[in-house]
Amino acid sequence: MSDCDRIQEWLGAWLDGELPQARSAEVKLHVEKCAACAAEKVRIQRLDAALKRALEARVSDAAFAPFWAGVRERIAQEKSPRQRVFDWMRRGVAFPRIAWGVPVAAVVLIALFSTIRPSGWFVPSNQASVESIDGHGFNVALLREAKTKTTVIWLFENQETEDENPVEPAASEQAF
Amino acid sequence: MRIPSSLRRASKLFSLWLIFAAPLGAAEHPAVPVQLKIGTILATNQAECLDSQLAKLKQQLEVVKYRCYRLIREESKKSSWDTNTVFEIPGGRSLVVMPYEFRNARVALKVRLLEGEKPIVDTTVRFPNKGNFLLGGPAHEGGVLILSISAAAQ
Repeated sequence: MSDCDRIQEWLGAWLDGELPQARSAEVKLHVEKCAACAAEKVRIQRLDAALKRALEARVSDAAFAPFWAGVRERIAQEKSPRQRVFDWMRRGVAFPRIAWGVPVAAVVLIALFSTIRPSGWFVPSNQASVESIDGHGFNVALLREAKTKTTVIWLFENQETEDENPVEPAASEQAF
Repeated sequence: MRIPSSLRRASKLFSLWLIFAAPLGAAEHPAVPVQLKIGTILATNQAECLDSQLAKLKQQLEVVKYRCYRLIREESKKSSWDTNTVFEIPGGRSLVVMPYEFRNARVALKVRLLEGEKPIVDTTVRFPNKGNFLLGGPAHEGGVLILSISAAAQ
């Protein structure tokens, strides 16, 4: 990866002020010297500005006054005992340690299904399945015919290999 | 967020279980040897014919659209699991077959066809116990060879 590629990957974060000081200085120095990266910086800034303008235009259309009034009213309201119980339960469920349970349970289930598979849990296909083929430079075709449950791996000579060796052309019927 | 030490330990144990239990689960096969059978068939277009010994394979052979099929060699060998068994194939070729897994009544074989010392094809195929698949294409005596590779694990 060239210097410019690296710097351009950081440009967005640099413009948003998210880079550490040392890296930020590195990007600044490079952009000052490099026309391509400076142009990229301008492009990002233009895009940001366009986005900002669009968002501001949409925000100005929204009527926020009733929303904030509603928020203030809800804060001032005395909570009912039922509401307090509901809040307490919600905090319990949102507790980070319980939140861990979902991915852990998913991983355990996946592991169980991948390691413990007694025969008869599913009915496998009664046709051969080819998991890998390496033709070592030869072309390989895979034919599968469901009616007779036939799987055929067919080998034939690589056309490119023939072209590369015009002195010894392969017989047209020969596979190797 | 700091991860509690009990959870940290449990996750390490679980990782160990995943590392060791998964491969054990994958490498299952019966203790009995597997019977491998290789039929070498010469397919040509010279005249309409079907070797009487190939009657059971007739429908499968029709998939490859030749006119004449003759069984030129049939060899059957008992093989241990995870062990290479070599079959001689006409034209200075050999077929190396290694049965490596038996799961859900399906046998998995690693198959290598060689011409002299040179590998022509390496493949891994899984098929129903006592079933077969065909490997064809090598030129031989004006036609092509088709190998019917079958395995019976029980």
